[in-house]
Amino acid sequence: MDKAMNVPQDKGMPAAKSSRVSLSRTTRRRYLLFILLVAPAFLLRLITAAYPILQTIYLGFTNLSILKGTNDFIGLDNYLAMGNNIGVRSATTFTIVFILTTTMLDLLIGMLIALLLNANFRGRTFARTINLIPWAIPTIVAGYAFRWLLDDQFGLLPYWVTQLTGLRPAIFINPLASQIAVILVHAWKDAPFMAIILLAGMQGIPEDLYDAARVDGANGWQRFWMVTAPLIMPLTITMGLFRLVWSLGSFDLVYGLTFGGPGVATSVLALQVFREGILFFKFGFASAISVILLILVAIIGVIGLWLFRKTEVTY
Amino acid sequence: MNKPLAHISWPRIFNSIPVYLAFIVFTILVLLPVYWMTRSAFAISTDLIKLPLVYFPPATLRNFATLMEQVPFGLYLRNSLLFALSTTLATLLVSYLAAYAFARIRFPGSSVLMWILVLSMALPDIGTIVPLYRILKTLHLSDSIAGITLILTSTLTPFTVWVLVSFIKQVPYEIEEAAILDGASLPQILWHILLPVTIPGLVTMGLINFVNAWNNLLYPLSFTTSPSAKTLSVAITEIYAGFSPWGKPWELIMAVGVTMTIPIVILVLLSQRSIIRGLTGGAIK
Repeated sequence: MDKAMNVPQDKGMPAAKSSRVSLSRTTRRRYLLFILLVAPAFLLRLITAAYPILQTIYLGFTNLSILKGTNDFIGLDNYLAMGNNIGVRSATTFTIVFILTTTMLDLLIGMLIALLLNANFRGRTFARTINLIPWAIPTIVAGYAFRWLLDDQFGLLPYWVTQLTGLRPAIFINPLASQIAVILVHAWKDAPFMAIILLAGMQGIPEDLYDAARVDGANGWQRFWMVTAPLIMPLTITMGLFRLVWSLGSFDLVYGLTFGGPGVATSVLALQVFREGILFFKFGFASAISVILLILVAIIGVIGLWLFRKTEVTY
Repeated sequence: MNKPLAHISWPRIFNSIPVYLAFIVFTILVLLPVYWMTRSAFAISTDLIKLPLVYFPPATLRNFATLMEQVPFGLYLRNSLLFALSTTLATLLVSYLAAYAFARIRFPGSSVLMWILVLSMALPDIGTIVPLYRILKTLHLSDSIAGITLILTSTLTPFTVWVLVSFIKQVPYEIEEAAILDGASLPQILWHILLPVTIPGLVTMGLINFVNAWNNLLYPLSFTTSPSAKTLSVAITEIYAGFSPWGKPWELIMAVGVTMTIPIVILVLLSQRSIIRGLTGGAIK
């Protein structure tokens, strides 16, 4: 690259040699080019990510509220107030339950789908194609579609349950049933994506490893545990960590499916931030809740680094 | 000669039964909500509240006509398209430049910068929503497509750079080297030499970013308030929030859902190979 913008060269001197001679100037030029090219990306991240994060942390210590007109530094008061805020307390608990269960379900179901898509059968292309549909459907649309599918009066699934058992399930007025619904619908939306990644990982495994296992008399189940599982373990851990972090910020699905209800049973921290910040304009308090989210991200990050070290030693 | 064949085919059929069962269950689970949404979007409201349920009510486009009458549906559709397209193009431009630098130019600390960029993906979008609200106000970009485009472009850039770097690295350097020796300038290299061979990567990331932007709810919902900037994703939440005498207007909600889903699903089904390559491009190397 440095050679592109080269200074006019001495006549008769080979290009490669001359660039080595004027190294310092071309190097400077190269650095400048690098900076110019990455500048737009980093400026964007600076303005809309780095600076806002610092702002969030600062605002978390204030009682900035547009409706009340307050804007004072109040130290840890927001954090102390969370202890008494049933919405935030319940959202914290459910967020942790939600990210752990959905991540495990994502990995488990994603693995099952990947195994299916990797198997040899008629209809595999069809299966691989429709597998992208849950990923592609807007999350908010999926939320409403399932809300309607699970509607206690005219939803298809409760209707079938009633036909089969005579029971009349009303999912969205039952806290536990609503929580399970949020977790399962989230898995419906995201497990196929996980499957795509895991499938790509499986396809990268050399076929002769399976042949060797076959020669040793390993059956399908054994081949999965001896060859597939250990080889895609690092990828699985990476994706699991990504998924944990991503589901922390997951907002659309809960917004559409339950809006946190009934009561605050399915509210997650992301929804609380939106409610307090964007609906009630309590910027200070909403920022403090965001900080809790950031702390959770940091905890997952530390666990992640520790896990990576461990897997590095193991393999 | 027939005997070994028969001998082999029995266990094979037996083996494939669980696979086909799994295939059937998988297909039903994936398509059931899609069927339910489509069935409701093209039905009249009274057919949706009949018991026993009507599985295939007569199809009608009435709900879409109602949407056109009652909300600025065409405007929302235009906004969604504008938002998705401009975000896609801006993200590709910004990311292509940065990815070229990361893939080709030696710079001290370049890998650290790359890591910072990639790690910034871990920040939950919602965690910056309050400051972003204020920043957009300051920049006079609140309640505008330009504002939400700016923010989503920034959100989508790290992953796009990450994937494009690996795409560019796969292109042999010799072509550029020859052009450089011929005295080509940087814009010439980026536009004439590298762009044509990086097109598959750009198309892939363009599709993924388009899907992401089209589906985005958080930013339009938080930062737009007037019909001239609201997208379909906001529209569907507003129609859900409204009540009709019979409860939620599910036929309208599902009609917006279908409108949002059809273009995306067609896009994805037409270009699934390309999309899968992009989705796995960053994670698997």
